[in-house]
Amino acid sequence: MKKLSFQEVVDKLNKFWSSKGCLIVEPVDTEVGAGTFHPATFFKSLGNDSWRAAYVQPSRRPCDGRYADNPLRLQHYYQYQVIIKPTIPDIKKVYLDSLKALGIDLKAHEVRFVEDDWESPTLGASGLGWEVWLDSLEITQFTYFQQVAGIELDLVPCEITYGLERICMFIQEKFNLFDLEWYKGVTYGDIHRRHEIEYSKYNFEEADIEMYLKMFEYFEKEAVRLADKSLMYPAYSFVLKASHAFNVLDARGAVSQNERPRYIARVRALAKRCAELYIKK
Amino acid sequence: MAIKKEKSDFLLEINVEELPAGYVRPALDRLKAAFIERLKAERIAHGDIIVYGTAVSLICYIKEMLLRQEELSQEISGPPKRIAFDENNNLTPQGMGFAKNQGVRAEELKMKQTPKGEYLFVVKKTASRPSREVLRSAIPDIIKSIAFPKTMKWDDSGMRFARPIQSVAALLGRENIKFEMGNVSMKIVKGADPAAYLGKIEKTYILDQDKRKKEIEKMILAAQKKAGMDEGVDKNLLEETNFMVKSPVLMMGEFDKKFLDVPKDVLAASMSKHQRLFTLSRDGGLVNRFIAIIDGKGRDLKKMRKIYADILEARLKDSLFFYKEDTRLPFAELTPKLKDLIFQKDLGNMFEKIQRLEELSSFISEKLGINADRKEDIKKAARLCKTDLVTQMVGEFPSLQGAMGMEYSLRSGEKSSVAAAIKEHYLPKGTDDDLPETIEGAVVAISDRIDNITGFLGSGIEPKGSFDPFGIRRNSQGMIQIIKSRSFRLELRGLIKKAIELYKGRLRISGDELEKKITGYIKERLEFLAPDTRPLELKRAVLEAGCDDIVAVFKKVDVLSDISGEKYFLKAAKVCERTSNILKGARGENIGAVNEGLLKEEQEKEVWKAYSADSGTIKELIKQEKYKEATRVYGESFFGPLHEFFDNVLVNAEDAALRGNRLAMMQAVNRLYTNGIADLAMLPQIVVQ
Repeated sequence: MKKLSFQEVVDKLNKFWSSKGCLIVEPVDTEVGAGTFHPATFFKSLGNDSWRAAYVQPSRRPCDGRYADNPLRLQHYYQYQVIIKPTIPDIKKVYLDSLKALGIDLKAHEVRFVEDDWESPTLGASGLGWEVWLDSLEITQFTYFQQVAGIELDLVPCEITYGLERICMFIQEKFNLFDLEWYKGVTYGDIHRRHEIEYSKYNFEEADIEMYLKMFEYFEKEAVRLADKSLMYPAYSFVLKASHAFNVLDARGAVSQNERPRYIARVRALAKRCAELYIKK
Repeated sequence: MAIKKEKSDFLLEINVEELPAGYVRPALDRLKAAFIERLKAERIAHGDIIVYGTAVSLICYIKEMLLRQEELSQEISGPPKRIAFDENNNLTPQGMGFAKNQGVRAEELKMKQTPKGEYLFVVKKTASRPSREVLRSAIPDIIKSIAFPKTMKWDDSGMRFARPIQSVAALLGRENIKFEMGNVSMKIVKGADPAAYLGKIEKTYILDQDKRKKEIEKMILAAQKKAGMDEGVDKNLLEETNFMVKSPVLMMGEFDKKFLDVPKDVLAASMSKHQRLFTLSRDGGLVNRFIAIIDGKGRDLKKMRKIYADILEARLKDSLFFYKEDTRLPFAELTPKLKDLIFQKDLGNMFEKIQRLEELSSFISEKLGINADRKEDIKKAARLCKTDLVTQMVGEFPSLQGAMGMEYSLRSGEKSSVAAAIKEHYLPKGTDDDLPETIEGAVVAISDRIDNITGFLGSGIEPKGSFDPFGIRRNSQGMIQIIKSRSFRLELRGLIKKAIELYKGRLRISGDELEKKITGYIKERLEFLAPDTRPLELKRAVLEAGCDDIVAVFKKVDVLSDISGEKYFLKAAKVCERTSNILKGARGENIGAVNEGLLKEEQEKEVWKAYSADSGTIKELIKQEKYKEATRVYGESFFGPLHEFFDNVLVNAEDAALRGNRLAMMQAVNRLYTNGIADLAMLPQIVVQ
């Protein structure tokens, strides 16, 4: 098996999904926790138009920072997101083909589909599916969406979210993220180590709680104001900002178990308003 | 004519995308039961039914199924012969009507001798259909009848199942049975009957789930024995694993010893819950090895073993990192970090919360007369009970809250009773959960709950219908359960007042109003927790007298419902009812004390005499919680005199002074019982025979 670099893996996946009729789009330019937040998934899952897209989405999970100390955890990482709407009967086989296209030997290794009913409470999105294990390494989240923004979907989309770093770990047989080869001798650590350390420090120790508490309020207000004017995309971008502000507050330890559901409900309400605007169009 | 009954084996195979492991067995049970039911209703006889399942297939194998339904012949009797036929032996209109209704020609009518005479009757035969045809509509019904905790749709047909169905094969003998069900495609089996088809599958994996499970268990035990480890298999994980693999292969691996420093709870959770690994132990202690059951032969075990170990180590490294970080300082020194944790919007941070819990716990200790040493321990436990929320381990494994607090506080040298209380103050988590075992835990648990209820209700949060996201009902209920089981004699009003006071004006809803709200929820839960066998009106009557002493509430409900059929009880109830009715008319008036000099009529003097003679006794009996005796004395003492009084004396006299005095006496008599035990006027239809 040729040991693909990170860059080559992205390249192969783009080629693969492009050949399956996906538009290859670019990431959303705001901090998000996952590829699902991209309008290409959030909005496009709604309504009755067919849609196929794939893209890399840099994702931020402030709570997951480990000061570059942990071989498996990052507060900033990359998802490769595929959305196929409506889903197709042989989607699982196509997915397995994509792994083969990356040179993964599915006879020598075990792929296991382990129950995981995915849910994004902030987006009011949920679905049934699995986390996909490759020899117990979770490499993909595979979900048949049932709801987005609390709205029952008529055309069921299939969302496939690859953890790019995880796949590279397997392919390159390096179980430390920072040792992964990005391309031609340059490592993931070369590119991201300092970023991880500084952002871990920022998220856990430095982020100004008072400021974020205020920002959350501002973002929420602005999202409502824009939604009132039917400016769906700008409103949605403030939903994303509010969601990220909440994540930072969470990492900073400023949100208690009791407070959490309330924040999440506030973001969800905003996301729902945007979804309703999308459907109305 | 004797028809040779032909039969064949039948097989249904549902191919589905990976079902959650826990879904498979219940689905198989349902599949089997549904076939038995339906085939019986369809009059299709059959032999044994066997079900086989994996995550991706549900199979029902039915031996020797008849190829046609049994014929159904029913006898339906009609009118008696004398009505159905005239004297010329011709059918009467009634006789013809019967034939017509049954859809038969006159020639098909028959006669039958019964004990009541000769009657007309018909034999109705329902044509038998080929089983193939019956199955065509029965199979989709049966598949759709399989219930799952969660279902999904995957296309526009509206079909729901736990995961998408890929295809279905149905074989009767060698014949493929085709049917329509959503957009599901039919799998065609060529050149095999069910037995041959199953034989072919059997060559690729272990078909029978029980055989497979035994096989896995055997493998694990053998490996443990060979390695000199304790022998034993985690039953839940075994059951789950059995429905994740078809051809089990055992792989034993090893991880770095240093991870054995991770607390046992955390290590076991990481291994069995996250990675589905069987842990290994020697002489009861975990060792740095694992067993994985993987699927399929011919895998690259060498590489897989390394991957499994690397991933486990990466996970444990995270846990070890948390553990080291968390234990860098003595546990108690982490407590001030609670200042950064919001308890609840408007209610301040968690540090302020534990300060309140310290005060509340001391307040309760005081009330319960707990000795000074123990009181200090309780206060310590209250101070430390939320500290683990700022630890990284609990951030990662929220379900370990409390357990980590115990672990860390023990490590920092806290007393074991303090450590236990930290863990136990979260109990009970639900109606049937355990209660705290230590008195320290019980006191802190009560403090935490009353503080939650007060804070949430005070900031305007209330349950809506069954939606109670802040657990106000759960908190109230848990508190009552603890107080009751420990027979804690707390003055609840005092505790509530203290809890409100400790929020220092931070609450939106103020003193009396809030106190009433809190008491309302506690009463609602008391009503719910008192046994169902006790009448609701009686529970309410008792609660009307207050719930200051929760232990007494339960006792009163028990005692009163036991004596509710006694005459003296009914008399007491009647006294409450009549005095209460008269007082209703004076609602809002300022009623003073009884002035003996104003008692004019003989009958009112008698009532007062009874009061002067027995009220002291009754109060004393109530104080001693002798509710039965108190009720007896009350009923017997006042029922007679009061009866006479109402018959002869007008309470609402024109003279305002007389009226006021009589009302005062009524109030005194009424309150003697209704404030002390229960407002029996709330009971329906009180009749004293």
